[in-house]
Amino acid sequence: MQAIKQTSPYVRKQVSTKRMMIDVLIALLPVVIFSIYRFGWNAIIRLVVVLVLMIGLEALIIGMTHKAKKTDTKLSERLKSKYSTYTINNITAPAVSAVIYTMLMPPKLPVYAVAAGAIFAIVVVKMMFGGLGANIFNVAAAGRRFVSLALTGMFAGVYIGVDMVAGATPLTALKSGMGFPSVLNSYPLLDLFTGNIPGTMGEISAIAILIGLIYLLIRRTADYRIVLSTAITFIALITLIGLKLYPTQWFEFLLYNLFSGGLLFGLTFMVTDPVTAPVTRPGRWLYGLLIGSLIVLIRTFGAYAEGVAAGLLFANMFVPLIDYQKWSSNVIKPRFVIGYVVLLVLMGLVVYFGVGGAV
Amino acid sequence: MIAKTKYIPDGKKELKELSILHYLDANYLYYPVTSARCPEGKTCVREGQFVKIGEVIGTRKGAFFEQPMHATVSGEVVGYEKRVEQSGKVVDCLIVKNDKKYKFHDSIIERTDEEINALTKQDYVTIVKEAGLVGLGGSAFPTYIKLETKDQIDVVIANGVECEPYLIADYSLMMDHPQDIIEGLIYTMKASGAKKGLIAIKKKYTEIEERINFSLKQFTQYDIKVVKVGNYYPQGWELEMIKNAIGIKIPQGELLSKYGVLNFNVSTLQSIYNAVKKRLPVLERLFTISGNGVHNSSFRARIGTQISELIELAGGYKDIDIPKVLILGGPMMGVNVTRDDIVMTHTSTSLIVLNEEKLIEEPCIHCAACVYSCPVSIQPTQIMNAYKVKDKDALRMLEVSKCMECGLCSFVCPSKIHLTEYMRLGKRLAK
Repeated sequence: MQAIKQTSPYVRKQVSTKRMMIDVLIALLPVVIFSIYRFGWNAIIRLVVVLVLMIGLEALIIGMTHKAKKTDTKLSERLKSKYSTYTINNITAPAVSAVIYTMLMPPKLPVYAVAAGAIFAIVVVKMMFGGLGANIFNVAAAGRRFVSLALTGMFAGVYIGVDMVAGATPLTALKSGMGFPSVLNSYPLLDLFTGNIPGTMGEISAIAILIGLIYLLIRRTADYRIVLSTAITFIALITLIGLKLYPTQWFEFLLYNLFSGGLLFGLTFMVTDPVTAPVTRPGRWLYGLLIGSLIVLIRTFGAYAEGVAAGLLFANMFVPLIDYQKWSSNVIKPRFVIGYVVLLVLMGLVVYFGVGGAV
Repeated sequence: MIAKTKYIPDGKKELKELSILHYLDANYLYYPVTSARCPEGKTCVREGQFVKIGEVIGTRKGAFFEQPMHATVSGEVVGYEKRVEQSGKVVDCLIVKNDKKYKFHDSIIERTDEEINALTKQDYVTIVKEAGLVGLGGSAFPTYIKLETKDQIDVVIANGVECEPYLIADYSLMMDHPQDIIEGLIYTMKASGAKKGLIAIKKKYTEIEERINFSLKQFTQYDIKVVKVGNYYPQGWELEMIKNAIGIKIPQGELLSKYGVLNFNVSTLQSIYNAVKKRLPVLERLFTISGNGVHNSSFRARIGTQISELIELAGGYKDIDIPKVLILGGPMMGVNVTRDDIVMTHTSTSLIVLNEEKLIEEPCIHCAACVYSCPVSIQPTQIMNAYKVKDKDALRMLEVSKCMECGLCSFVCPSKIHLTEYMRLGKRLAK
């Protein structure tokens, strides 16, 4: 009998990172199926291109950044030692990023533009920071932001040259001066819910996304705290704006904002990304508050209609601050609750006065 | 799984059903001269000398107390050999050859009830000190120091939670000898002046509750109750247990006696009972051999028995060609040993033999399952990162010293990172 040396504990729970990644992929299934149903080959081609690019580039960069042992001479040996740390998660993790990223793209955006964003996301945002677990920005959101900043023309207002037929998306319509109650005529709430509207591939069907959200929350792969905190902040602030601007139709305004644009999709698949989130309970509540308010601020006062990706990226920058060792703590103290409420009220005041609520 | 983990599959049910094999007549018995708390020790018998049960054969010396060693059989002292002790270290052991006559030493006389009633607090402390009793819950903290306290004690708690998986020693003790525990509890109540006694057990153990309540009928003049606490891990940790049993939240690092509480493991209480009533050390105890790498079995064996003999009796190892992990104690906090010539001491409870499973460590994905599960509310993942960059200030800010190495962070990690090991390294670095 050979006894080996280990340190306690000697038993481990039956969970794995692989399972968490695959859970996200399963949760994404309804969204993907719906986008394929809506956009057919447009969706399939973009999905395949991005998947191949992200998984392939991650593998390539791992090969480039890992050194082979000096004793290895044959190519096969060198490859083997270069890829000794390559695991299933080097496939599942970029696959998750790839699917989320693709679902953030408009269906008729040229494939080269989609590919450019994908390459930026995986090479610069993920692998340059150290690969899985080390990136500080959400990979998919950063890729999406890169495309919309570098190729602004393709997104501006109505997707000129990209989406001629469909015209404005519900949110850009709101931005470009159609005015709130009248947009409901072009985009009824029911259509927003089922996905019968123009928009990016994954964001349009609220119902498909909600199925994924429920699955993730039941499997505890997503932390409900971030989702809840973001949703509470968003709903509170939008209700406030609605009450000020459209006192009679504030509820429709709220629903319209909830179901249009990438909010639900972001809430389900982007803010729940644990890698770029803080690690404590209070930290995650605060993080949700930050994302929620940033989305509202960008939607209401920003130049872009779409604020989820940008809001998330901004919030990502605050994570090291939230997680700073001196004050990070996993205990929810009364002090924190008061601080949270005060911040929420402050944000409410900012938004309320911002939309002309003074006097 | 981004959630707090409390429940660990405990595998106790199968072990409780095992019949207990009696193995009280080993040919040679081994007595470690030193132990984890007592780095020095000397024997007071010569080779060839004849000793009897309960005879003092030597003393182990700790930092602030001495612990006598007792023979648990009668027979001849035959020499010294190196064996593995409970703490996992290889130490010198005194060997006594069993003559199978089991003669008791002359000093072993039962105290009568009148004598016990006449004992003062100081007498109890002296008895416990001279018997060298230590906490058998795992800490091996000298018991007399707890009893010596000058603070006003309101309640003494017997801790019978035993939250670690695969351990059934306290369970079977409570089932078989509830009376010993109750009497031990009464002695500590007398010694500390507490009016109230509590026996804390897991919520799911209704059979123990009935058993103890039945025995309590003989002791109605004392205010002793059974209190049921949670079934989760680490409920057996004294602060967590006290919080649930009497609702007092005691900060880490503070003495329990300041809050009017004393806490003893049920096996410690039994040893107090034996020392006070019978003037005896612990002579035998239940020892379980479990895990997937060995034939499982429960034994009643004499202190000093070599565990490799028990393994052989149980049927030996399974799957010989797979490397094994040998654990003394529970699978969460137990001690790893690399040899099986282990000597049973009164702190031994079980040996777990697991087939080796190779784990691949993945990068941390900040899921924070470890942070959510940590019973002392520190952030293991941040401590790991601080340790990796050798940042002592950050380690202190993260209060790594609070860690009690319960093992939950490693247990829950989906990336199979050995966080508990980083906590140990971090503690050492931050000192």
